[in-house]
Formats: sequence, structure tokens, C-alpha cells
Amino acid sequence: MRGDGPGGSPPLALTMGEPSGIGGELALKAWTLRTTRTVPPFVLLDDPERISALAARIGLDVPVVTVADPAWAAQVFERALPVLPITLDHPVEPGRPDPANGAAVLASIDQAVALVQSGACAAMVTNPIQKSALYAAGFGYPGHTEYLAALADIVTEPVMMLAGGGLRVVPITIHLPLRDAIDALTIDGIVQCGRVTAAALTADFGIERPRLALAALNPHGGEGGSLGTEEIEIIAPAAAQLADEGYDVIGPLPADTLFHTAARARYDAVLCMYHDQALIPLKTVDFDTGVNITLGLPFVRTSPDHGTALDIAGSGTADPSSLIAAMRTAVEMASFRASGKLSAASPK
Amino acid sequence: MSRPTIAITMGDASGIGPEVIMKALSHPEVREMCDALVVGDAERLRTAGAIVGSTLRVDGLDDAVQARFAPDAVQCVDLKLIPKDHPFGQVSAVSGEGAFRYIERAVRIVEAGQADAICTAPLSKEALHAAGHKYPGHTELLAMLTGTPEVSMMLVSPKLRVIHVTTHIGLIDAIAKIEPGLVGRVIGRAHDTLVKAGVANPKIGVCAINPHAGENGLFGHGEEAEKITPAVEACKAKGWDVHGPLPADTLFFLAGRGDYDIVVAMYHDQGHGPIKVLGLESGVNITVGLPVIRTSVDHGTAFDIAGKGIADERSLIEALRQAVDLAPKTKRAA
Repeated sequence: MRGDGPGGSPPLALTMGEPSGIGGELALKAWTLRTTRTVPPFVLLDDPERISALAARIGLDVPVVTVADPAWAAQVFERALPVLPITLDHPVEPGRPDPANGAAVLASIDQAVALVQSGACAAMVTNPIQKSALYAAGFGYPGHTEYLAALADIVTEPVMMLAGGGLRVVPITIHLPLRDAIDALTIDGIVQCGRVTAAALTADFGIERPRLALAALNPHGGEGGSLGTEEIEIIAPAAAQLADEGYDVIGPLPADTLFHTAARARYDAVLCMYHDQALIPLKTVDFDTGVNITLGLPFVRTSPDHGTALDIAGSGTADPSSLIAAMRTAVEMASFRASGKLSAASPK
Repeated sequence: MSRPTIAITMGDASGIGPEVIMKALSHPEVREMCDALVVGDAERLRTAGAIVGSTLRVDGLDDAVQARFAPDAVQCVDLKLIPKDHPFGQVSAVSGEGAFRYIERAVRIVEAGQADAICTAPLSKEALHAAGHKYPGHTELLAMLTGTPEVSMMLVSPKLRVIHVTTHIGLIDAIAKIEPGLVGRVIGRAHDTLVKAGVANPKIGVCAINPHAGENGLFGHGEEAEKITPAVEACKAKGWDVHGPLPADTLFFLAGRGDYDIVVAMYHDQGHGPIKVLGLESGVNITVGLPVIRTSVDHGTAFDIAGKGIADERSLIEALRQAVDLAPKTKRAA
């Protein structure tokens, strides 16, 4: 019955991220662009006082309203930035992460998860975190995604997808050194990633029969084994297994000719064998508005595809384009998910 | 300003080389940007000219010094190797031998100061091997003919130039092969090539191997610090404008918008992918490190359509444009 609350449909939950990074500034800028760039209503989970102070510091005229319930956010959103308060224990100095604020960073994520799981928020969008600061505060997860998976209590590992410029890429491994990423490739890992990706493309993007492409690892796809054998031993068998399971899959295909405009028409997403294989084409075709999407979670979560940018934090020069794109994507995904659930639940 | 002379090798006479040459040289803007000296068989060019409907006269020359560049004629150093009715579309030792001899002659022509760069039409490796020349391709052949121990592959598209530290080797082997000496030599080739082409102190961006350039050792086994940084530092010490190792995912966008004159890629797909993403066509392949600039079309002999007059000349025109662009800008000692 949330839809009947004081503010209409539920807003997005935007997390604080690393407070000494650019997250707060991006939230403020996104709010100022709410009309010109059709930014969907969101509630920021952050410290209202520090957000007001930050607005003043970078010269943005943004009224901040503290809300206790996200249901009010949509109604408030037109005239003020709604903030669900999270108390920061220590003053924030732009560019200088303080592990003492780690608890607040995590509390913001925890609450956002609770809000999307209860349906009070439609989806969560996360600002970038500074892993080193969280590690120093005792954070025991490799990153955001793993933490969310733990909070959501899911067993199947979520998958990271990046989207932008008409391209969707899914790195099989993420932040592994290249050498280790090659060693970590397995048939099962690729197949699992393919399953999660295909399911999410259907549920969250409305693609009835998703077309997956598998990138090769070696130049020219290994040229029949003369330039590497991973295609023959790992990637081709994974493609065969996915095909056996009924998925629409092509590959392994040489990665250098997989990403240009004409090639992109052949698939809905590419499974990439290492981080840069996915990120180089994505950032090359769409540097500013790429979106990072976590697939396989019980709720919708997106984030901008950049980091905390400590070097420019507090200067007022951060570009909110990727965050805005992440918000729009989150709304689209949430609406596909809602309509899917609706039709699944409706009687025949 | 005098036009550079580009030696165009005819490639495999049974492929689409002769046709795309006649088509390309029929474009006034091509004749405008360079003096084209074909090294091949004049009679074959006439046959190809008739097939594509070209009105250009073909002047067969015994020696490059006889070339008289004019808008209505093709100047061809004529090796007279291809019989008049030699078929199109088939692998033959005759055409393979021709392809070899054109390259050989083109190298001598450049060495004699009679041309500024070489642009190669495609050859067939099979035909080359049938003629007894056991080279994997053009690049190795040119390296042998010029006594060059090591060359690098550069790809150029309208927005981006990339040079490769490794190319046709498996990714694991590529990582193992990268070392500061090799990286330094490749940066050096990039620098020298662009300086000769008239780019004063080119800005060079060097890719990392690991995600996020290894984030100071967080992601990686120190490959950046061990294999790349020493080479970058050594080049900087010479006063060169070299940056890196930089995260590869953002470097190509930055270079594509003009922040860098050239990117040094560590492995094949790292450099090839962005070129194809950013270019409408696949980009021009350039061999650097030879005593002469050599550019090449990005297609093969296309035996299936050879002799039919339908081959597309645009890749050759782009290769010629890059040959002109990268040809040394100081006048050759003729």
C-alpha cells in the first residue's frame, strides 16, 4: 500500500558513499538538475547538516529537508532535497577519508537495503565507497557488491554489468590482476555468470530472449589454439553448455571486433573474460554516462561507474552524469521488475 | 609544398590489389595528396583499369627516376612478371613471386631516396609460400629486406593512434614477454615516428596491464612497477612527454578526444578493440621501426571477388592518407 502514501510512488534510495568523496556533491547536483535532466525522485541517506554545509561550500542553492519516512520524498522532491538522516561521527574533510566515519557509510547502505526490501524505496543507487577507509574500519568484504549479497542473504554470486552507449558488458572477474583473472576462468564460472545475466536481462530489462556473446581471451580468439588454448578448453565449452541449457549464445568471438557499432547489434550483453576487456570498450564509447548494475540481487541496485574521485572532492567540479544515468536505469529496471511480478501474480 | 612520393606495391596480382589501386588513383584527392608510384606490372594495372572502368593511362617504367607524375596517368615501375591472361581469384606461385619482388623493389626505391613511404596492397601468404618465400607476412618480409631486428605494429584511425608492445601471442605469454627494454623500444618507435612525421614532442600515453593500473599494487603482482614504469621513467629522462602506466579503460577515450598523440598498448586486443570501436573502418595498419614508413590496407586479397570490379578502394585510400601523414617531413636526401 506504499503507493498510497503521502508522496505517491516510492523514491530511489541514494546512499552516502564515501563522505569525503564526490558522492554528496553528485547528489546535490542531480537534485538541481531534476527538471532539466528528468532526474527521478530520490531520498539521500546522509547527514543533513553536512549536506547543507557542502551545498554552501560549492555554491549550490539547495534546500535540504530531513524526512523520517521515504514516503514523503516524492512530494518534497520538487522543492527540496529529501535526506533521511544518518549521523556522521566525525567532521568530513573533502579528499580525506576518515575510518571513524566508516560506520555511517555502512549504516547508509544497510538502511537503503532495508528500504528497498520493504518496498519503501523502489531501488537503491549507491555512491562510490572508499574501500581502504572501510577496511581500516574493519569492513570484511571485498567490495560493495559482496556486502550487498551478504545483506540480501543470497547464495548465488551477483554479477556486475556495465551499460552505456548501447553496450552492455559483464566482466566474469572484476578486480583481479590480469594474470589471476586468466587463472580464475572456469567453465562453471562463465556458465553461472551467463545464467544470472540472462535472467536479469529478462526480469529487469524486459528482454524476452536475451542474446549473450562470449568474448575470447586471446588475440584472434586464439586462432585454433596457436595463440592460446583458453578458448578451446574453457570458453567454448561454457558457450556449449549455455546453449544446451537453452540460452541464445554466440562465441567465443575475437574481442577486437566484438564491440564496434555493427557488432553490437548481434547481442544484448557480452560476457568479458577480464575487467579491462569490458571496461575499455564501454568507457571508450560512453565515458560520462556509463552505469554499473548489480545483477542477481533480490532488489535493484545501480551505481555510477566511477570512483570517489578524492582528488576533486569539495571543489564543485564533479560531473553527475553517470549518477543520473544510474538513477534513470534503476527506475527503468524497477518498473520492469514490478510489471513482471504483477503479471506473474495476476490470475489467469 | 611538394607532395610526398608513396610507393604502392601491387600485392598479389590475382587478388583485388590491381583493381583497388586503379580505383583509388582515379580519385582526384588521392592524386592531390601524393605522387603515387606503383611497383608492380603495368599490363596487369591496364587489365584492372579496364575492369573497373578507369580512364587513366598506365605508364610502364624501367626505373623510378623515369616517373612523370601527371593527373591522367599512373606511373608504374614495371617488373613484367605476370602473363597477360593470368587468372584472377586463384592462388599461384607466379603472383606470389610477383608480390615478393614488388616489395623488394619498393624497398630499394625508398633506399635510393626515390619514394618517402611504402603502402602495400594485400598479398596471399599461400601464394608467397608457393613461390618459395616462407615469410609469415609483409611485416617479416620487410624486416628481412631492411635488416631490421624488431618492428612494432601501429594502428591508426581518424581519432586514435595505437602502437603495440606485443601482438600475435597468447595473453598469458604476452604478459610474460613484456619487460622494460621492450616497452622502452616501443615507446621510442612511437616517439621517433611521430617526430619525423612533424609532431613536435608527441604526448604519449602508456597503458597498464592490470585493472585500474594496478592501483599501486592492490590489483596485481607489481607488473606495472616492474615491467612498465622503468621504461616510462627512462623515456621521460630524455625529455619526452610520456605518461603512464595509466588505467587502460579510460586512456583510449582521453586519447580519442585528443589528449594524447598516441597510446602504447601492452597487448593485441587492448589496442585493436578501441581502434575498431572509435573508427568507422578498422583503421590502418602501419609497421614502424623499419627504415621506411609502411602502411597497409586492412583487408586481404579477396580472391572471391577479384577481377569483378567490385572491390572497395576506401581502405587503400586511407592507407595512402596515413602514409602521407607519417612520411618524414624533412626532405629526403635524394
